[in-house]
This record gives sequence, structure tokens and C-alpha cells, in this order.
Amino acid sequence: MLSGLRRRGVLGINRRNARYTLAVNDRARFPLVDDKLETKRLCIEAEIPVPRLLAEARLHVEARGLPGALRNVESFVLKPARGAMGNGILVIRGDGKGGFIRGDRPLPVEDLVYHASGIISGLYSLAGHQDIALVEECLQTHLLLVPLSAGGVPDVRVIVYRGIPVMAMTRLPTERSGGRANLHQGAIGAGIDLASGRTLFAVNKTRPIVRHPDSDQSLIDVPIPEFERVLEIAVRATDCTGLGYIGADMVVDAVRGPVILELNARPGLAIQLANRAGLRPRLDAVDRALGAPDSDWQRALSVAERVAMGQAFSSRSSA
Amino acid sequence: MSRSVFVTGLLFLAAGLGLFAAKVGVYEVPLVPTDTPGPWQVELRIHVRGDGKRGSVRALLPAGSQQQLVFDERSSSDRLNFSIREHGGNRVGVWTGWLEDIHEVVYQFRIQTGALEVEIPEQAEPSPPTRAIRKRYTQPTSELPSTAADVKVVLEELDLPAPEDLLARVRKVFAFVVHEIDEVNGAGSDALLTLARREGSVEGKERLLITLLRGAGVPARVVRGLELRDGAVPEPRIWAEVNLYGAWVPLSAVQDFFARRPAGFVEMGRGEQPLVEATGVRAVGHRYLALREPLRPDEIASLLAPDNPILARLSLYRLPVDTQAALRVLLLLPLGALTVALFRNVIGIPTYGTFMPVLIALSLREFSLPLGLVLVGVVTLLAVLARIGLERLRLLMVPRLSILLCVVVLFVTSLALLAEGSVLPDFFAGVVFPIVILTMLVERIYITAAEEGLQEALARGLWSVSVAAVVHPLLRNPNASYLMFSFPELVVAIIGLLVWIGGYTGYRLADLVRFRALATPPVGGSPD
Repeated sequence: MLSGLRRRGVLGINRRNARYTLAVNDRARFPLVDDKLETKRLCIEAEIPVPRLLAEARLHVEARGLPGALRNVESFVLKPARGAMGNGILVIRGDGKGGFIRGDRPLPVEDLVYHASGIISGLYSLAGHQDIALVEECLQTHLLLVPLSAGGVPDVRVIVYRGIPVMAMTRLPTERSGGRANLHQGAIGAGIDLASGRTLFAVNKTRPIVRHPDSDQSLIDVPIPEFERVLEIAVRATDCTGLGYIGADMVVDAVRGPVILELNARPGLAIQLANRAGLRPRLDAVDRALGAPDSDWQRALSVAERVAMGQAFSSRSSA
Repeated sequence: MSRSVFVTGLLFLAAGLGLFAAKVGVYEVPLVPTDTPGPWQVELRIHVRGDGKRGSVRALLPAGSQQQLVFDERSSSDRLNFSIREHGGNRVGVWTGWLEDIHEVVYQFRIQTGALEVEIPEQAEPSPPTRAIRKRYTQPTSELPSTAADVKVVLEELDLPAPEDLLARVRKVFAFVVHEIDEVNGAGSDALLTLARREGSVEGKERLLITLLRGAGVPARVVRGLELRDGAVPEPRIWAEVNLYGAWVPLSAVQDFFARRPAGFVEMGRGEQPLVEATGVRAVGHRYLALREPLRPDEIASLLAPDNPILARLSLYRLPVDTQAALRVLLLLPLGALTVALFRNVIGIPTYGTFMPVLIALSLREFSLPLGLVLVGVVTLLAVLARIGLERLRLLMVPRLSILLCVVVLFVTSLALLAEGSVLPDFFAGVVFPIVILTMLVERIYITAAEEGLQEALARGLWSVSVAAVVHPLLRNPNASYLMFSFPELVVAIIGLLVWIGGYTGYRLADLVRFRALATPPVGGSPD
């Protein structure tokens, strides 16, 4: 088994931490991606599309003002600025009469305030510190992906190493995941061929799967809309952070196209299962092409050149 | 593993193991504790508060005898003059001087003692020395009024055997005091009062025994000492000795022993002199501490004063008793941390909090693992239920956690109440129960269950328990404790191992399980 994993170049947690997240990610820059508000500011400066910020609450008194500010909004997402693994995120719709609905149940106003207060207290933040409750616009699932997502918005994750996209997958919500796009909660992960932008393979937890359990649609060879632009945005957003190993999470919005949801300095490794491929051959190919790590790697090549490099590496290593 | 990591780890490992090997090889420090019950290290700490006048503090010091070997006596006098005097057949430590504010005097000794069985000699004609003893130890004193009328009445009622049969007389008086006199905490210690009320304190009961024996013509005297117990502070004890045909025989109506002295009893002195007393002071207080050492006296000597002066300075055996006791626990923590690192980074199992399992295991050190886990489990379960109820109130986080902390404290307190007088005698005594850790554990379990499902919360709980279960025997193991305390340089070696684990970039066992689908080529798929 050990030799099988080595042959495929599967990246393990120890190696990811020691060689990638700890080695090429400057700790001083972690706050840029750990804080979604900070990431949003960076992206807006670089003219990278992000979900619109509808409201924010830094204090408990501000949390009490949220229901009033949001009473006429059709739908929105309440999330912690420093959350991890999708924890603490609520997707909420207005009921048209000033009340709120979560899923298919009414959400009492005091529950909304309580949840925002929990976020501010640091309940969902990485280190339990004081946090900010963010309210963002609710993104719309792209028509092409609607049949593949049950009760939630699918996202696309791209791993970008030293400015070059090396692996991608889409995370499709299921009824079991409660509409959330988190693999450990039961969402489906489907690996994407970087060159063609089509899904290659899909897993639910660790189990291979070919059809969506809720809609029975095929999960294989599905085109991801505007995938070239997805890769381009991922690379540009990573450039803003100056971090060397990033998981960029994006949503292809029905109207606005790809937008950056968040960036992750410690992206998970399940993407390898979804792609049926290890990360190491691609990471090694990047290191060979760029030589010794230095600070100016992203300036030497254009975004388009780097996307093309990533596509070439991925087809070579999985061929 | 990179070269620099390998070399750094190797350096630490070599330094730690090198010193360890030198101590074992060259200075012949034993590697494992000796089987025989080792000596005790006892410490007496006296605090006196004076107001600028001359004063003195006196304490009974143990004397060496065939039954007890006393060695390595040390004292610190804190601006007072220290001398050892002979007084009424006892060894007495005397600290004198001008007493200003608070003085702390410390007296430490090591003592090898065991259970004592005394053979009662054959009945014999009284020899001149025994006659002298008889004269001296049958006389009435103010504390032992053996000629009082009440004493005579009782002795007559007892209908004692003939005066020549000393042993039979002693047995009869002993049986009377054991069975007829109740022992009441806080009752008087006067012999006659104890007799009149048929109840008295520990001291009153022993005094009555001696008074009655003297009244019956049996030479008897008071002995003062300590009972040394594992994992508890020494208890001041008082017992009796009778002289039967020339031999002093220990007996106690309270501790219920006769012609033997249980292991752990140390004789400090005879007669009415208290263990510690002071004159010319405003206040005096004292406490004893004791620690059992798993070594023979000669081995301790080699650890205490090795030939090498540097090693001698580094010996932890020179420290005060309570510091030693704390360090014995503290030095086990690196072993626990090493285990956690192995579990997390080599095996890759998820637990609640990084060191939480170790700290839980540490706090359960005094208990057997199943019992300890049941206790922690009960408290945790109840507190999680309370947390579920608390959720309805929608409280802010810090007050909510604080309430949870109070709830945990309450549950632990009620457990202690329930445990009182049951199978858990010293339940929370001296155990710093990790209340805060338990509180955070409860919150984590609740959040995990709410967000990732009950299954995940339980799985993580089980993994945490298994780590605690692995660490727990390690923390309780006397050999491990001895090894880490005698060879603290092993912590340096552990750092070396941790450097290696930290530099291990290979797969975790959990990676192999998680990515097992990638280990085999896909069915009908293209070759890699």
C-alpha cells in the first residue's frame, strides 16, 4: 500500500505541512487569507470579483441591528470572517414579510442574532478569538451545475503552488451534506482536468461514485463553466497574497461568473482522491520548472503562461 | 527528513543518552528501582513567628536503632542556632535565637524502616536491670495517674491474673481498652476522663492503656512517632510499649497492634514530650512530608553524592520533599508528550485538543484507568447534557463557558460527596482535577456533535480515550517515574526524538487508510 501511494505521488499531511504550508507560506501573511474580510479587500483592490458584502457586525450590539438591515434582502449568507472548514455558515432567505427562512424552516429573528453573536464571540474562528460576522450576497448556482447540486451552491477549489494551478475539483452539495460544499460533511468531490475543464472522476467521502445520489445525473465528463477564467482568477488571487501554497475556493455565479469565496493556506488533501492522482508529481514539476524558490516567481511569467504551464503539468502527470 | 533535522535530533539524542549512559556505566546508578521497599525521605517544616524576643523551637528527631536506620540528616536553620541534644532519652533538635517575624526551619532525614515483630521472652526471674525498669515505668505521673481510685476500681473489676503472669495481665487490660473505650475525634486526652466517659481521643485512649498497665504493675511507657504512608502526608501517632521480662513490646489500642509494629511506623521519641514545641514565640506551626524511595540506602547515597561534582549538583534527590514529589510527576509529562506526537504525527488520529488526553490521564494517575474514565465520563456526559439545555438560552460564549465551568465544578463536588466513605477514599485529595480542561472538552464535544455529527464527536472521543489509555499506565509506572527522575537528561533525548518526529514527512498511518483507493491502479484504467 505504501509503495502504491508513493508511486502515485500521494501527498500526506506531514509532508504537506513541512514542505508546503510551513515552507512556502510566510506565517506573517496567513492573516490575509484567514480573515475573509481581508481577502475580500485584497481581491477588490486587484479587481478580482468577490461576493458583495451586505453587512458586517463586529460588536454584539451590531449583531442586534442585522435583522433590521437585512429585512428586505432576498437571500444572504451569514458567515464568520475567520471560520474554518465551512463551520458557522448559514444560508438564509427572506420570507418577503420581514422574516427569515433557513432551509425550509422559518428562522426566528433572535436565532439569527444569536448565531451572529456566537460568530463575534469567536465560536467558529480558528483560534477562538474575537471575530466578525459577515453578511454576503447569496451566489446563484450556474445553470449547467444546477442538476448536480442539491440544496446548495457548488464551488470549485484550485490548488495553486508558486503561482501555478496544479489541481482542481468541484465540490457538489448533496442532501446528506445539508446543502454544504464540504467533503467531510458528505458533499461530492469531482476532480477536474485542468486542460479541458471537464470532471474526471468523483468521490463521496472515500468512495468512487459516478452518478449524483440525489439527481442521478452523471458526474463524469461534466464541463465546468468558464473554467479558464476560474484558473486565471485563482492565480491572480494567489498573487495578491504572496503565499506559495493556496487552495482558492470559487463559485461560478450564474450572473457574475467566477468569484473568489475564500483562500485557504492549509488546503485539505482529499482533492487527490477526487482526481485519482497524487499532488507530488505536479508540485515537483513546478519546482523543476521554476528552480529554487525565490520571491519573484510570480512576476516572471504572465497569468496566462502560468495557467498553460499548470495545464501541461497536470496532463503529463496524469497521462 | 532533512539532513539538518536528522543531525539536530541526533545531537539531542546523543547528549541525553550520553549522560544517561555515563551515569549508568561509570557511576553505577541503578537502572531500575530495587525490589525491596526502599527508605523514606521525611521532611519536617516548622514555621515560627516571634516578636523580637529570644525563643527556641524543639522537635523530636528519630534515633537510629535496630528497627530503623536513619541517615542523610540535614537541616536548615533560618538565622537560628541548631543543636541536637539528649533529653529524657530522646534526641531533640533545638533551634534557638532571636525570633523576628517568621522563621522557617527545615529538618530532613531518610529512614529505612519495616514491620517489626517482637518475640516475647520466656517468663524469667526479674534481673536487677528489669527491676530498675519496673520501678521507673510503673510510677504514676500527672499524665498517667496509675494510682487513682477509678483506676483501682476498674483493675479490680477486671479480675486480673496473678502478678507473675505479666503477659496475661497485659492482654486482659489491652482487651478492655480496645473493646470498652470508644475513640472519638476531638474528645479529651486525659486518661481518667477517658476512663470515666468510656470514650476519648486517640491520645486519651493510649494514655488510659498505659495508666491501667502501670496500675496493674506492668512497666509501660508512651511512644511518639509518625506513620508514613504512600501518597499521603505522615500522620503523627502515639502508641504504647510494655516491658515484658526485659523486652520492650509495642502495642496500640487505637491502631490495634500487639507485639508488633506495622511497616511505616517511625519512632520519634518516648514520654510526654510533643513532636514539636516552642517557647518565646507568638505562633508555631509544623507539617511533615514523606516520600518513598525505590532504592536501597547505598544506591541513594551514590545518587546523592556521586564522585563527580557536576553530577552531584544535578542530583534531584537533594531537593525538598514536596519539590521532589512535584518533579516526579512533571518529568513524566515529556513521555506523555512523546506519545501524543507519535499518535498525532505518525499514526494520525484525531483527538480533542493536543495535550488534553495526557492531562486527563495525568489527573487520573491516582486511580485505576477504568474507574478514572468512568468518573470523567460521567462528569462529561452530565455536563454535555447541561450544555444542550444551555443552548436554548442563547447566551454569549464567555458567560456560557463560565456557567459550564461552574456546572463541572458542581458535578465534581457532588461526586466527591457521593464518594465519601465509599470505595473511593482519597477521591479528589491532592488531585488537581482538570476542571478547565473538562469544561473545554464539553464545549468541543457539543460543537463537534452539532457541526460534524454525533458519530464524528463519538469517534474523536474514543480516539482521545485510547490515547489517554496508552499514556495512563506510563504515568503510573513506578519504573518510568524512577527512570525520569533519576535521569532527567532523558528529557533531552526525548527532545531529540521529537525533532525526528517533527521532521518526518512520510505518510501517516491515517493517510494510508484515507488514500487506500489510490494505492491500487484503477480497474481498467490507464497505467500511471
